[in-house]
Amino acid sequence: MLERLKATWPYAALFVGAAYLFHDAGTFAAAARPGQLGPDFWPRAVLVLLMIVCGYEAVRRIVFARGVAADATVAHEAVADAAGAHGAKEVAVATEETAPRYPWRLAAGIGLTIAYVLALDVLGFFVTTALFLGLFMVAGRYYRTRVVALASVVGSLVFVFVFMKIVYVSLPLGAGPFRTFSVWLLAMLGIR
Amino acid sequence: MAETLHQLSLGFLHLLSAANAMALVVGLVVGMFVAVLPGLTLVMGVVLALPFTYGMSVTPSIILLTAMYLSGTYGGAFTSILFRIPGEPLDVPLLWDGYPMARQGQPALALGWTLLAAFWGGLITCVSAVVLAVPFAHFALRFDSPEYFAVVLLGLSGVVALGGASLSKALISLCIGLMLATVGVDDTYGIDRFTFHVPILKDGIEYLTVMVGAYGLGEVLSRMEQGFASPTMASGERVRTRLPRWSEVWNLRPTIARSSLIGIICGIVPGAGATVGSFVAYGIENQYGKRREALGTGIPEGIVAPQVASTATVGGHMVPLLALGIPGSGATAVILGAFLLHGVQPGPQIFQTEAQMVYTIFASMFAAVVGMCLLGYFAIKGLIRVLELPEAVTSAFVALFCFVGAYSARNSLTDLWMIVIFGVVGYLFERYRFPVAPMVLGAILGPIAETSFMTSMIAYQNEWTIFFTRPISGTFMALTILALAYPMLRHLRRAWVASRDGARRGGARKLQS
Repeated sequence: MLERLKATWPYAALFVGAAYLFHDAGTFAAAARPGQLGPDFWPRAVLVLLMIVCGYEAVRRIVFARGVAADATVAHEAVADAAGAHGAKEVAVATEETAPRYPWRLAAGIGLTIAYVLALDVLGFFVTTALFLGLFMVAGRYYRTRVVALASVVGSLVFVFVFMKIVYVSLPLGAGPFRTFSVWLLAMLGIR
Repeated sequence: MAETLHQLSLGFLHLLSAANAMALVVGLVVGMFVAVLPGLTLVMGVVLALPFTYGMSVTPSIILLTAMYLSGTYGGAFTSILFRIPGEPLDVPLLWDGYPMARQGQPALALGWTLLAAFWGGLITCVSAVVLAVPFAHFALRFDSPEYFAVVLLGLSGVVALGGASLSKALISLCIGLMLATVGVDDTYGIDRFTFHVPILKDGIEYLTVMVGAYGLGEVLSRMEQGFASPTMASGERVRTRLPRWSEVWNLRPTIARSSLIGIICGIVPGAGATVGSFVAYGIENQYGKRREALGTGIPEGIVAPQVASTATVGGHMVPLLALGIPGSGATAVILGAFLLHGVQPGPQIFQTEAQMVYTIFASMFAAVVGMCLLGYFAIKGLIRVLELPEAVTSAFVALFCFVGAYSARNSLTDLWMIVIFGVVGYLFERYRFPVAPMVLGAILGPIAETSFMTSMIAYQNEWTIFFTRPISGTFMALTILALAYPMLRHLRRAWVASRDGARRGGARKLQS
C-alpha cells in the first residue's frame, strides 16, 4: 500500500495544484466581453485536462497498482522492438535505470545553485563563480585540489573575459570590497 | 525549382562570409564534443550554445545551432563503436553491431560505415529540406487562425504521443508547459493572470529559462544524484577510419533507402526525432533486412540503418520549423528560440521576407554534412579526448553555462531564480520519468495556440466546430486525434496479442497434460 501511495503522490500533488489554479482563474480582474470567451477560458481548459489526467493516473495507481509496466508507448516500444534479441541491457545504459543514487550530493548541488544566485549580487560574478565551480566539483566527488583550484579560477576568468569583452554582457560586480576587486580585475583584463 | 537552385547557390556564396563560416566550423566542432561526452545531451548542448548567439546576427546564430544539431547526430557513434559508451540515446543501436564489428578487429571499418551512413543521411536530409520546405510554406500561406490552432495542436499531440514515456505523463508535462505560458499579462484583456501579486511574474515566464533550467540544470542535478558515474575512456589509440569498398556499399542499397525514408518521416513528424528514427530503422532492418538473422553479430546493415536514419531526421525537423514556425523536437525548439530572440518569426512568409537567410541556412547544412565527415575522418582522435575529462568538472561548467545563459538574455537575477526553480523541476521530471520536451514546447507554443484559438473564437462567434468543418484544419484535427489514439490502440493491441498468446500456451499445456 505504501508503494502505491508513493507512486500516487506526484499526481495527487499536481491535481491539488491544478484545482487551486482553477479556482484562482475565477478571480481574474476582467470578466468576458459579451459574446466572447473570458481570459480564464484557456487556462481553465488546460487545467481541466491536467486534472482529468492526474485523477486518472492517481486512481489507476492506487486502485489497480498499474504503474511503470503500463507506461510504455510508441518510443519505448520502438526501442523494445529494435532491441529484440539483444535484450534491454544497452537500453538501460541509455536510460540509466540501474544507477545508484546519492541524495546528499543532490541536496548539495541544489544548495550550491541557490547559494550562487544569493551570493552573486554581493560577491560579484568572478568570486561567486570561482567558489561555485570549486565547491560543485568537490560535491561531485572530484577531489584533486590543484585541478579544482586551477579550473575554478581560470574558468571564471575565461567566463568574465568572454561574456564581458566579447558577448558584451554586464555581469554583476558585487558590493563593497568585492566591487572594488571586480573593477580592478576587469581593468587587468582590459575590460572597460 | 530553378529559382530554388538559384537561391541555394546564393546561399553558398553568403556562407563564405567570415561570420557564417566561423559559426559553421565552431558549431560542427562543439556539436561533436557534445555528442561524444556522455554527460551532455545534444539538446542540452544546443541550449548551452544559445547565449553565445545573443551578440551575433540571426544567420550565423542559426548556422551555429544547426551545425551542432547535425554533427551531434554523428559524433556519439565513435564512443558507441569503440568504447561501448553511447554519447546519446540515439547511438544505442550502434552498440549492437558497431561494437561487435570493432571487437572482431575491424574498428576502422565500423567507423567507415558510420561516416558513410552519416554522409548519406545528411545529404538526403538536406535535399529533402530544400525540396519540401517551399511547397510546405506555399501550402501554409492558405492558413487562417483555425488552421494555425489545428497545426499547433497537431505538433503538440505528436510530441505527446511519440516523445517517449507514457501518454499520461507527456500530457501532464504539456499541460504544465501550456500553463507556464499563461503566466503574466493576458494579450486579449490586458489583465494579470497567475501573477499572485509578484511583480516579476507580470512579465511572464521566459521560455528560455524553462528550457535552460529543465534541460540543462535539471540534467546536471540528475547526474549529480547518480554520482557522475558515466563511463570514461581509457585510451584513444584505436581511433582510425577506413571507408568500405564501393561494391560493399552498393549491396546495402535497400537498407540505405529504407533508413533514409524512415529518417525523413521521423523528422517531419513532430516528436519522433533522431532517437526514434534510429531505433525504428534498426527494428525495420531486423524485420525486413536481407541478412536480418546476422543482425547483432557485427554486420554493416546494423550500423548503417540507425546512423542514416538519425542523421536524416535533421532536415525533416527543419521543414515544419521554417515553413510553419513549429518545432518538432527539443533541439528545433531551441533553434526557434534563437530565431525569436533575434526578432525573426519563422513561418510561410519567411521564404519571401528572409529568403537569403533561409537558403544560407540550407547551404550551411550541406556544408555541415561535408564538414562533419571531414572532422570525423581527420580530427576525431583529438576530439574524443574530451572523454578523459572528469564529469564533475564538465558538469560544474555546464551549470555555470546555464546561469550565464539565462542571465545574459535580460541581465536579470530573477531569471537566475527561474533557472534554479526549473532546474529542480527538470530534475523531478527526470526522477519521476516525465518527459521534458512537451513542457518546453508547451511553454513556447502555448501563446500561439491560445492566441489562434481565441482569435478563431472571436472571428467565428464561438463556433468551436469551425476547427473540424474547414478542410485543412479538419484534416489536422483528424491527424491530432489519430496521433493521440494510436499509442492507446497499439497498447491495447499488444495487450490483446499477449493475452491471446497466453491463452494458447495455457491450452497447449492442458492438451499435453
